[in-house]
Amino acid sequence: MKKRLTALFIAFCTTVAAAGCALLPGGSSGENEESDFSAGRGESIRILSGSENRELEEVIADCADKAGVHIEIDYQGSVDIMMQLQSGAPDYDAVWPASSIWTSLGDTQHLVKHSQSVSLTPVVFGIRQSLAEELGFIGRDVSVNDILAAINSGKMKFCMTSATQSNSGASAYIGFLYALLGKQEGLTDADLQSEDLKARIREFLSGVERSSGSSDWLKDMFLASDYDAMVNYECLIIDANEQLIDEGKEPLYIVYPYDGLSIADSPLGYVDHDDDKKEKSFLAFQEALMTPESQSAIEATGRRITANGVSEENKDVFNSDWGIDTERILSPIQMPESGVLMNALNLYQTDFKKPSLNIYCLDFSGSMYGEGEGQLKDAMSQILVQENAKKNLLQASSGEVNIAILFNEGVITTLQAEDDSDEALVKLYEEIISQEPGGGTNIYLAASEAYRICMDYDLEDYTPAVILMTDGQSSDYSMEFERGLPEYGFIIPIFSITFGDADPEQLEGLAELTDGRVFDGTEDLTAAFRSVKGYN
Amino acid sequence: MKKKIIGLVLLIAIMLVIGGIYLATSRTPKIVAVDGYVGGEKIELLEDEEVQAIFEEAYGVQADYSRAGSLDMMTADMEGMDYLFPSSSIAEEYYEDLHGSPQQSEIVLNTPIVLYTHRAVLDAFDSQGLITQSGSAYYVDMPRLVELIQNDTAWADIGLPDLYGTISVDTTDPASSNSGNMFAALLANVLNGGRTLTEENLPEILPQLEDIFGKLGYMETSSSDLFSQFLRMGIGAKPVIAGYESQLIEYAALYPEQYDAIKDDIIMLYPAPTVWSTHVFIALDDSGELLLDALLDKDVQRLAWEKHGFRTGNYTTVSESEGLIAAGVADNITQVTQVPSYDVMKVIIEQLQ
Repeated sequence: MKKRLTALFIAFCTTVAAAGCALLPGGSSGENEESDFSAGRGESIRILSGSENRELEEVIADCADKAGVHIEIDYQGSVDIMMQLQSGAPDYDAVWPASSIWTSLGDTQHLVKHSQSVSLTPVVFGIRQSLAEELGFIGRDVSVNDILAAINSGKMKFCMTSATQSNSGASAYIGFLYALLGKQEGLTDADLQSEDLKARIREFLSGVERSSGSSDWLKDMFLASDYDAMVNYECLIIDANEQLIDEGKEPLYIVYPYDGLSIADSPLGYVDHDDDKKEKSFLAFQEALMTPESQSAIEATGRRITANGVSEENKDVFNSDWGIDTERILSPIQMPESGVLMNALNLYQTDFKKPSLNIYCLDFSGSMYGEGEGQLKDAMSQILVQENAKKNLLQASSGEVNIAILFNEGVITTLQAEDDSDEALVKLYEEIISQEPGGGTNIYLAASEAYRICMDYDLEDYTPAVILMTDGQSSDYSMEFERGLPEYGFIIPIFSITFGDADPEQLEGLAELTDGRVFDGTEDLTAAFRSVKGYN
Repeated sequence: MKKKIIGLVLLIAIMLVIGGIYLATSRTPKIVAVDGYVGGEKIELLEDEEVQAIFEEAYGVQADYSRAGSLDMMTADMEGMDYLFPSSSIAEEYYEDLHGSPQQSEIVLNTPIVLYTHRAVLDAFDSQGLITQSGSAYYVDMPRLVELIQNDTAWADIGLPDLYGTISVDTTDPASSNSGNMFAALLANVLNGGRTLTEENLPEILPQLEDIFGKLGYMETSSSDLFSQFLRMGIGAKPVIAGYESQLIEYAALYPEQYDAIKDDIIMLYPAPTVWSTHVFIALDDSGELLLDALLDKDVQRLAWEKHGFRTGNYTTVSESEGLIAAGVADNITQVTQVPSYDVMKVIIEQLQ
């Protein structure tokens, strides 16, 4: 009963906080904002964590109970965690990125203490077993160039997380750069300017079928569809395989590219905001995580707890039929020095990755009048005005296509930026903000129109996404939309960003149909955009 | 009226409290709290309860600190600070350069720069004739090791095909951390034929140093973070790192169980030659001098060696100490080169940034 009351109270507080935030475009996270996960009772410790730790929630809850602390976790990509740390992470007491490089790059204010690695897992390729066999990848050393050959021959496509958001994507991408350069260490800015490299990395990344802003979501997306392969943590591929086997499907075979391997060491560190009580509670929680029992439970989820193999009791988790080799020495590539790394990430965003095909469906129905309209227009300025976008690594990529469908119960107008230049995007933005809301709402019609437009493009050359911004109160034509889907012959994810007095139910339905996702634009718009952008 | 009574009651209460504090403090010896800047590697020592007890009981001093890099602290705000406790004599020279002679300064602790590696790497180095042994301590021939690094020798070429890439020594960023800084000093001297590098030879040596450090990529900013990653991530991730001798001695003393589990694999290699990291205590005022006296206390110096691995005036040879858990500690450190002067190091640091 008490739990329910607490939940109700939290829900109430969240509503109040959300209402408060709604007035601030861009949003700010208040104390009472609901976190992605919480457990235990006692002094509250707010952790900003990589999404791969979702699989540890049981262990975390257990440790929170043992330590007598209340743990609240928000999930973000490691690169986002780094950016949070750089601005002092005022809303968090601890950070838990996938790899210590993001803590040390982010900790420019020297706030992080007691940082300790909780587990280890390599970033690897998981490839459908039969395809791995066909490619001859079973039982031998595979290089990044072998994988490139498979991609060039059209035999394989893969999914990976965005290099500008998530550690697994960033590490894999750096590995690709080294391998394509034929270099083993000391990546330089000059290397990144090589025309030959540019051509080859673009070619390689053209094999990316789908992207995502976080590793755990990439795994979910992979499981929901039918893809060839993904770059992800060994532990998440183990997790995916367990689900695939349950569903009677073919598991993934794990390939450790020897010239492009990296290890995530999962460091949990305290962010010092001068609060001794919190520091003590943090240390108690951290100690609970490091006890042999907790470590064994963590190992049972497919994470490694030492660099030297796995324990007898958890051996079965690391199934060698899936290509898992626990005896192998994991020898990772070297991360470049920070300036070069940031330069490489920027180039990924603007130049190397497949261009995005963004179709914005913007709700200009009468119910958006006032608050919702204001939020929508502000949101478009964050993404289309490039000086704003750049601050959050959201800038347009070269060759990007931006189309806006303004709709109410029908399509009001369809606008398109002439090209990927800053000027063209500003022009598109200005056209959008001159529209006034009115009329009914039919989000399904707008979504169908977006799909129809996509038929004019060769989707192999783009990562397409439909970004629907609405208050979610639509006449229900979901059946019609669903029935029409097979005609297109493709599925493009529909990401919804909600504004005003939103009802996400219909949007959740669309997300489910199309592997998309729903974000609350009133809470943290930047995070929503970084997520959407990460997925395309 | 009522207000006046409340005021009177409050006044009496305050006077009682003040009187109570006065009585309490006059009965116990007065403890002087001193504050200063300290390099991160000495924090465990200052946090050591045994050490703190001696400070307070015998010297009436309590050491507060703020953590700061050895060079950074020289330009930090010294308002209210009684001492500086950097990790190198370079830092002390830097102080004199900026502020003139301090009230008092003295070398309190020493620890040599060492390399940490795994047994398989030791064996591979040994097969190349790089290793000599004296007692239980291993020494690595630095000129030969530097040659392997400069020639881009792959690990596979010396019999370690499981390790990816070429032979290198991971270190902290020389611009922000003292252990990286001292390792750069050591490499500079080795490249200079074993003689302390002077300004005259800088133009010849600097490009070679840049080349070696340029191949290292991302460098950690803290010696303790690098050491814990080395212990955690295995031979594949960090085959060899540069660090302080004190780190392993302290780890073994403070975490004997964990140390026991890894001690067969983890090897301390003394570079021949090596350099000292000298921890100079700079007293800025009388309170600072008080802490200096306390640090030079016989028992504090013993604890500094046995529990934290710092060699001191009395504990420079192992045979004099029985409390050491760490294996492979050299009896004494003899093959040492002098760290280049502050002016030379300044150029090196700027160039490697």
